[in-house]
Amino acid sequence: MRAIEYSFREATASIWRGKGTSALAVVAITLAMMVLGGLLLITSNVQKLIEDWSSAAEFSVYLRDDATSEQRGALEKLIDESGVAAAREYVSKAEALGRFRRDFAELASLTASFEDNPFPASVEVRVRPDAQQDGRAEVLIARLAAAPGVVDVRYDREWLVRVTTGLETIRGIGFTLALVMVAAAALTVATVVRLALHERRGEIEVMQLVGSPYAFIRGPFVVEGLLQGGAGALLAIAVLWLGFRAVLGWWGGPLATIVETGALQFLPLRLCAWLVAGGMAVGCVGGLAAARSA
Amino acid sequence: MIETHHLSKVYSRGLYALRDLSITVQKGEFVFLTGPSGAGKSTFLRLLLLQERPSEGELWVNGYHLEKLTRREVQEYRRGIGFVFQDFKLIPTRTVLENISFVPQVLGMPVAQQRRRAFQVLKWVGLQHRINAYPDDLSGGEQQRIAIARALVNEPALILADEPTGNLDPDLSLEIMNLFREINAGGTTVLVATHDRELIRLVGRRTITLDQGRVVEVA
Repeated sequence: MRAIEYSFREATASIWRGKGTSALAVVAITLAMMVLGGLLLITSNVQKLIEDWSSAAEFSVYLRDDATSEQRGALEKLIDESGVAAAREYVSKAEALGRFRRDFAELASLTASFEDNPFPASVEVRVRPDAQQDGRAEVLIARLAAAPGVVDVRYDREWLVRVTTGLETIRGIGFTLALVMVAAAALTVATVVRLALHERRGEIEVMQLVGSPYAFIRGPFVVEGLLQGGAGALLAIAVLWLGFRAVLGWWGGPLATIVETGALQFLPLRLCAWLVAGGMAVGCVGGLAAARSA
Repeated sequence: MIETHHLSKVYSRGLYALRDLSITVQKGEFVFLTGPSGAGKSTFLRLLLLQERPSEGELWVNGYHLEKLTRREVQEYRRGIGFVFQDFKLIPTRTVLENISFVPQVLGMPVAQQRRRAFQVLKWVGLQHRINAYPDDLSGGEQQRIAIARALVNEPALILADEPTGNLDPDLSLEIMNLFREINAGGTTVLVATHDRELIRLVGRRTITLDQGRVVEVA
């Protein structure tokens, strides 16, 4: 307990004495944690959006104009029994035309010249998220496409797959970059602590000669790294939070056209705590590496 | 207290700093270790402080067989030894009191006890009025008295001093030696390495003379 108390006291004094070099170590950890935290912030939000979009995924089964009501009934039975659909809705040819006129009002005048209604009737199916993931939706779509009375089935989720794959790639590259930066930060802390160790070599020699336990000799340097790491991580979280608020404030308008900005969230408190713990661990490793020579 | 059997220390290229040293220092004794520069005095003290390990022979101090100590045992062994160096080895960023209480502090002694012990030894060396001064504000003699106080604070069984008067004038040197005599009178074993023959004559204690790493005279 006395060793811990002593280590904290000496470490804070040492940080204060070497303000410039300590700031360097804190900045290195801040940068590393910003990369890691920024990556987590972006990927967690994109992941959440993908999940939201995936849960809203739909497919449409377009019916031939000559499809009978029995054929339509068989299709709806197949959909209901598959367990894939969260909901389904029949859209008649007239309703499809009505939707077109409503959604594309500027083109509505064109439809007046149609002799026949060219829009097919369809069954729109909202897919359950679990059915997407386990592939049951794909199986059902294949069966529906081959069923009598069906002209086409549209299930456009390729872009979601592409976004998910892209996210995985970004995550991989980002984590590699973060790892390199974390290693560099640990190295910086080790160098800074080694400088402090060099400055206090007289004290260390006396401590060794009087038979001081290693906890007293090395403890202050480990704690110094720990404090620098913690401060760096806290600073990184603060900068990320300010950045996050600034992005929402400045680009909230354009973003709102793509996503619901209320759905975007900052890193959860638990993850922030992990980042701080991670920063402290990085600093601790750096301090420990330097203190080994004491 | 100190016993060596055929102790040698060899550096690279076969250079012997100590050769076949067999000496004994009894508990409670005051012994001078003397000889010209390069005789091996400091090397012997470095071996006693376990700053270096012997190359050959045996070295026993205060019941510890020094060649066989583990790292933890080295710490335990050193707690029973006080040291005084020519360059004082005081910490310039700490006050006089902090320099002394630093030793019990890093040995885990409670704060009140640290301060009490530090003040006691400071009073004993007659520098209680310089309690808040920094080493750079003190004269050479005062700095060495602080170093002696620091060596005493842990109540060691053995005091090792390497040229403790090397930076002091003759009057101050005798003053410092008188402190060592008083320490020894209290029952602490004292081993002082010095090349100052006049000082040895004035203090008048058993003297081991080394030359080129060998014992050449015990008087």
